Amino acid sequence: MTVLDAPAGTVAPAGRREGIVSVFVRLKLTLLRNGLRRSSGRKAAYISSMVFALLLAVGQVVGLIALRGNTHSTTVVVLLTGLVALGWAVMPLFFPSGDETLDPSRLVMLPLRPRPLIGALLAASLVGIGPLFTLCLALGSVAAVAHGAAAAATGVVAVPLTLLVCVALARSVATANVRLLTSRKGRDLAVLSGLVIAVGIQFVNFGIQRLGRAGGLASLEPAADVVGWLPPASAIGAVGSVSEGAYGRAALQLLISVLALGALVWLWERSLTKLMTAPDGSTLATAEPSRGTSGTGRSGLFALLPEGRTGTVMERSLRYVVRDPKTKATWVAALAIGLIVPMLNALQGTGSVYLACFAAGMLGIQMYNQFGQDTSAFWMVSLTISSTRDAYVELRARALALLLITLPYTVLVTVLTAAVLGDWEALPEAMGLSFAVLGAMLATGALASALYPYSIPQEGAFKNVAPGQAGLAWISILGGMVSGTLLCAPVIALTITLHVSDMRGWLWLLLPAGAVYGALIAWAGVRLAAPRTARRLPEILTAVSKG
Amino acid sequence: MPDRAEAAAERTTTTTETTAGAGGARTAPPAVRVQGLWKRFGEQTAVAGIDLELPAGRFIGLVGPNGAGKTTTLSMVTGLLRPDMGKIEVGGHDVWLDPVQVKSRIGVLPEGLRLFERLSGRELLAYTGRLRGLPGAEVDKRATQLLDVLDLAGAQHKLVVDYSTGMRKKIGLAAALLHNPEVLFLDEPFEGVDPVSAQTIRGVLERYTRSGATVVFSSHVMELVESLCDWVAVMVGGRIRAQGTLAEVRGEAPSLQSAFLDLVGAGRHDSGDSLDWLGGTR
Repeated sequence: MTVLDAPAGTVAPAGRREGIVSVFVRLKLTLLRNGLRRSSGRKAAYISSMVFALLLAVGQVVGLIALRGNTHSTTVVVLLTGLVALGWAVMPLFFPSGDETLDPSRLVMLPLRPRPLIGALLAASLVGIGPLFTLCLALGSVAAVAHGAAAAATGVVAVPLTLLVCVALARSVATANVRLLTSRKGRDLAVLSGLVIAVGIQFVNFGIQRLGRAGGLASLEPAADVVGWLPPASAIGAVGSVSEGAYGRAALQLLISVLALGALVWLWERSLTKLMTAPDGSTLATAEPSRGTSGTGRSGLFALLPEGRTGTVMERSLRYVVRDPKTKATWVAALAIGLIVPMLNALQGTGSVYLACFAAGMLGIQMYNQFGQDTSAFWMVSLTISSTRDAYVELRARALALLLITLPYTVLVTVLTAAVLGDWEALPEAMGLSFAVLGAMLATGALASALYPYSIPQEGAFKNVAPGQAGLAWISILGGMVSGTLLCAPVIALTITLHVSDMRGWLWLLLPAGAVYGALIAWAGVRLAAPRTARRLPEILTAVSKG
Repeated sequence: MPDRAEAAAERTTTTTETTAGAGGARTAPPAVRVQGLWKRFGEQTAVAGIDLELPAGRFIGLVGPNGAGKTTTLSMVTGLLRPDMGKIEVGGHDVWLDPVQVKSRIGVLPEGLRLFERLSGRELLAYTGRLRGLPGAEVDKRATQLLDVLDLAGAQHKLVVDYSTGMRKKIGLAAALLHNPEVLFLDEPFEGVDPVSAQTIRGVLERYTRSGATVVFSSHVMELVESLCDWVAVMVGGRIRAQGTLAEVRGEAPSLQSAFLDLVGAGRHDSGDSLDWLGGTR
């Protein structure tokens, strides 16, 4: 029998703390167990992610114990705790629906008082993979830095304190932001989280590489000194301080964590009470300040775009780059990674100007699945395309909108990379090659958009393909990249020929040649894609409406 | 509004033959003619060979229960879904062979498809109108009037993604009307719409058909169809069970609802004893 189908009489009346605590803990356990009651595919994913998290936790404990005795063990342990606490704080913002017991709006109809409710929710929050992971980290950390009985005793306090501060942190952040998180803006934010992670990985990667070269862990000590005073890392820091014999510092560090826990619980209780007693205003229409652009739909810089379909489509595409979280996320990721990869390599002295072509390639991918980016709203486009000419203008306008961003950006990245490397001589040829790559991506992207459209789910940061269409997406992008490279072959061949046959004086020729060639194949690609788009409108609409 | 009156007058002159007298002889082509239309999705036949002839200048209701094939039919008629078989003409032009003629003459409000929701209401209209090839100034003028009439002026700068269901239907209707189409296809235009918005939509549609244009809309709410339409087609299980004027389809039955239930063959289920506790002693 689960909590949910227990007869109402067995639920303890509000106010009896143990009663509610056990109800909530059992509810949480039921929810965890119900994770297994899904289709076999999801079940496998669920189990494997659990096993993975457990293995990671065990590995962490083993690693931390191995760290014992290292001169930098306190530094590492304190920073790790700080990092995990940061994770707890941001997690609810990125995964708002992660925990169903977290949502106070589900409890609002129940006769519960805030104080026992807080205790019960806190207890329920301690059940799960995340808390288990954190517990392993805290245990391992204490094992790594505790030397002597006094330090071990401090550790006994520090471990639960760390765990409680982490959980209370997540809860109070989530409760304080629940209105935001259940609104459209919150969901938009969740979609953007993928971006933060994608770009973050690049920086972490770079940071680790730097760390490997610049004096190792010692360079982290100043950071650890600061983080060691911040809760909950200060609790772990206290264990280290006791081991070093600095009892005063240890007491202060522990006190900071305890005070933080108290403050967090108080904040959480306050926002929870407010949330459960005040009416939900999130659905009320807010008075929109009327903007200056009352007369026309065209404003600002958009007025510079040409009239007719070309300007209209460009305007819409560009607005979507800014306003649609999914489009924005892919664009910012492409822009960031397109810059980071060549620049970081150049900064480390291992790069080449040719890596700047990476930016052109990353940005060119945005031309792929153009109609999938419209989602089922593509019907509005479909209804206005009645000839090959319409389809041509539509595709051309989308390519132009793309070029408006990618062309200056490609130039910028290429020039920056050349500047960092000091390799000005190779700039024209690298730029020419970038233009050819961009043209090839636009050409293949236009064709792939017409022939292999697929749906992009609007919810969730990590789903970019609707179920069942992943193969289609991969064929489209992989095939496109291979044929894009083939299309660039003439320019690549010319570059190599000029280098090999020692005609370096003519290498500047690659800039105009690449630009003209890129423009020509892009034009040809759009030309070829147009009749196919016009013929396949209903099929494209069906393919992009599955999200 | 002078603009709409002018437009209406213009269209009435071009379609006078079509609408000459409600019961008069029709020489011009019907608004929509469908012959032998089929559509299968895998094993399931959504539309099983229907023939339809919808007269121009009427307020036409396509009624049927959920899953009858109404949306599939309207999607095929408007060129959004390719039929397996069959011929469709709108205003005498084949939908699949002559899209240039057809697409400029029809306005569509589909059900279950998104709009470009990250545009504001006004931007959406500006976008749609310009894609339709209307001059910018004209689009802005018409958009302002439509937003006013449909009671959306206050929300015109809000993103459509933040609109309520009723507001979405209204902005969709505005986008469908913007180019002054001859035939307007609306899929469940009143589904999930509050009474005030529904009344606004009704008013606009009635005014639009008075000008000689044709409205074809699908619904499963019989009272609504009965009060709005003068011509009805009943669709069940992918087939047309009856079509004709409201009086013809209704026949002897007291209301369209009961005529429809007779056509569908839905006997009135009696719940019997199975819910006998409901309303019993508490």
